[in-house]
Amino acid sequence: MARAITTQRKVIITAAAWAVGLLIFFPIYWTILTSFKTEAQAINDPPLFFNFDWTLENYAIVQERSNYMRYLWNSVIIAGGSTLLGILVAVPAAWSMAFVPSKRTKDILLWMLSTKMLPAVGVLYPISLIFVEFNLLDTRIGLVVVLMLINLPIIVWMLYTYFREIPVDILEAARMDGASLREEILYVLTPMAIPGIASTILLNFILAWNEAFWTLNLTAAQAAPLTAFIASYSSPEGLFFAKLSAASTMAIAPILILGWFSQKQLVRGLTFGAVK
Amino acid sequence: MTKWLEENTPKLVLAPSFLAVLVFVYGFIAWTAWVSLTRSRLLPKYEIEGFIQYERLFASPRWDTAINNLFVFGILFIVIAMVLGLVLAILLDQNIRTEGALRTIYLYPMALSMIVTGTAWKWILNPGLGLEAMVRRWGFEEFTFDWLVNPDMAIYTVVLAAIWQSSGFVMALFLAGLRSVDGEIIKAAQVDGIPTWRVYTAIIIPSMAPIFLSAFIVLAHLAIKSFDLVIALTGGGPGYATDLPATYMYAMAFSRGDIGQAASSAMIMMMVVFTIVVPYLYSELRSKDD
Repeated sequence: MARAITTQRKVIITAAAWAVGLLIFFPIYWTILTSFKTEAQAINDPPLFFNFDWTLENYAIVQERSNYMRYLWNSVIIAGGSTLLGILVAVPAAWSMAFVPSKRTKDILLWMLSTKMLPAVGVLYPISLIFVEFNLLDTRIGLVVVLMLINLPIIVWMLYTYFREIPVDILEAARMDGASLREEILYVLTPMAIPGIASTILLNFILAWNEAFWTLNLTAAQAAPLTAFIASYSSPEGLFFAKLSAASTMAIAPILILGWFSQKQLVRGLTFGAVK
Repeated sequence: MTKWLEENTPKLVLAPSFLAVLVFVYGFIAWTAWVSLTRSRLLPKYEIEGFIQYERLFASPRWDTAINNLFVFGILFIVIAMVLGLVLAILLDQNIRTEGALRTIYLYPMALSMIVTGTAWKWILNPGLGLEAMVRRWGFEEFTFDWLVNPDMAIYTVVLAAIWQSSGFVMALFLAGLRSVDGEIIKAAQVDGIPTWRVYTAIIIPSMAPIFLSAFIVLAHLAIKSFDLVIALTGGGPGYATDLPATYMYAMAFSRGDIGQAASSAMIMMMVVFTIVVPYLYSELRSKDD
């Protein structure tokens, strides 16, 4: 009897959880679906769920009008470049703080992390002055550097929390066996650090990919990534639903795929490591 | 030489990150602080004049609206997202079989850029295109849902979109908290015949106080930094009805040519963030020491 009640309760709870899930996912799902309809079908009454003629013409039109590939390529370069540059600068710093801590390590970390909390508008104006001065406006290299600097505290912090999980005993054992600093880093630390570094790369790639504040403010046409692409479609006049949907599906597709693999890293990063 | 290098490597490799953050963040904040004390308009000036920019700022009705909006938006967003997140986490905590897939779905909005969220909700809430038009086509001709273009209601559309974006993430936080509660205590309570809802209200939720604090801090700093979302969703409008401090600062710096106002509003925002965040970070780090 008790068992029957539990089963029933479980079914209700599962149904409720899925109902909420569908509600949350509906805008994304509907956008993707609409992108494959013709304009007439997109505003059909009643709304069409599956029984329509799937078409790719919206994608062709959007690509033709606004050169999606260039935005995509800019996004890849900017997000990838700033992530790699950031990792190069941050790995040594995180290594130093995790394995050779000094009295000030905690304070330095705290201080670095606190900057991630600050509103970016506070430094926007001086940065844009510098960009004008050095002709960096609307260049990919400028954005790579700015996004690297913006995300550096979070990269250092994430790497630090991952490195801290590496048992120190192993390092001490390696030192006892006479390993030099170079050997210690190369043969003992690196293999154990790679999963953490990979997770940090993934997290930071998504953060940089989604970054809109700096990309919108510092680019115009040449270096604009997908966030600018989607923003350029944000006034509905002149375009129709199906094409708008195709444009936004193209903008979010890479994130939908990456997001599936990386939710753990995302939560960990956004809570500054509080949730592992 | 080699020995010196080996001893000082840790400091040397830390230096680039340290300097980058120092110059990039604090150097520029110092610049902003300096300019906020001058009469800068279209171009920055460097003669200190005192607090005139702050006086102008607090006399400005637009800044008043921005601060009010921040409070309305911040409080509603934080409270609703936390309640929703907690409910979703409790739902998922009931050992349902498809938990993994559901968690991913709940979290998806968080992986999207604020720009995407803002743009999507702009279409959904657009009276002529989205929800209102759809319900009217279904035959309810009188149905009106014009929050997006109604100056009194527009700020609530920002709340709506922000909650959609973040509640799954709050859920993930709370779920981790629920899972960290000692299972033995819960079992003991169940053996004693205490109903499930009492177990939650009396045992589990009180023991999650630190998670509530973390969620609050993360949401609060998201709220203060919400710039992209407002820009994509309402552009601060209609008029300046949905201005937040961040969009105010942006408008002053780039469309109104009033650097002094931009700098002083940025400084106020930073002070607010600091008073919320720094005590939290300190307590986090100190507690991890033990």
